Amino acid sequence: MGFTTDNNSTPKSMSRAKGWTAEIENLFRFQQAGYRDELEYIQVKQGSLVDKWPESGFVKKLQRRDNTFYYYSRKRECEERDINKVKVYAY
Amino acid sequence: MELKTQGFTVKATMKNSVVVGPPAAGAFRERPPKPTTFRKFYERGEFPMALQHDAKGNRIAWKVEIEKLDYHHYLPLFFDGLCETVHPYEFFARQGVHDMLEYGGTKIQPVIPQLIIPIKNALNTRNRQVICTTLKALQQLVMSGGLVGEALVPYYRQILPIFNIFKNMNINSGDGIDYSQQKRQNIGDLIQETLQVFERYGGEDAFINIKYMVPTYESCMVC
Repeated sequence: MGFTTDNNSTPKSMSRAKGWTAEIENLFRFQQAGYRDELEYIQVKQGSLVDKWPESGFVKKLQRRDNTFYYYSRKRECEERDINKVKVYAY
Repeated sequence: MELKTQGFTVKATMKNSVVVGPPAAGAFRERPPKPTTFRKFYERGEFPMALQHDAKGNRIAWKVEIEKLDYHHYLPLFFDGLCETVHPYEFFARQGVHDMLEYGGTKIQPVIPQLIIPIKNALNTRNRQVICTTLKALQQLVMSGGLVGEALVPYYRQILPIFNIFKNMNINSGDGIDYSQQKRQNIGDLIQETLQVFERYGGEDAFINIKYMVPTYESCMVC
């Protein structure tokens, strides 16, 4: 992703996801754990790498803000009915 | 007046007596649940996990990374919890087993010998719900890594007798809908499925060993 990782980047706008893609799936996983997206995760957890499933590229493990861990399935977790809950932030 | 009596007694030879049949052996009767070690440890707060509620249901938030857990200690404990039928123990045991198997990789196989007794105990409760969850856990266990299926073959004698008892537990509803199939709660189907997974992942000795314990099983592999 072509984001800059300075500490004060705040999103300029937000829209809702319209259909399921791999990116939406990952955003869903980040938002389950309480982050906006990968960018915010990297900002909060300084220097930690995001663990992903090798075959699909889906997020595997996230550390939440209270330092507990969420583990995600290698299969799709974001069902059709959850898609409109996913927020896509633009910077 | 007719007299009811047990068979093979002196009374049974009398003309006015009717011999009643033998009592049920109770092969399908549920056994009373015993207190589990899992519950004890959970109440002591020894598991590194917490319950998180969200809109879709519940999820475990692990306080340490699963990769860093001592599998020799925790995995048998979680399997022990499969006997539980009440919340929150049932959820933690089921989900904990699922998570540990999914992310365990190579750490699972050395623990297999310690898992047999909990698995056997869970199946022996003959509680339908417990059998269902245990069967699903077994399928995931066998598929979790390279040699786990083969490592399980020597233990078939311990776990397959219950499979044999419940294998025909299916209903013939004609063309009616059996909703338990859709919900994956049909024990007969689950057992058939599990045995097929055992055969696929168990290497060349699997089939003959399954056949020995479950004579009605037929191979699912094309030679």
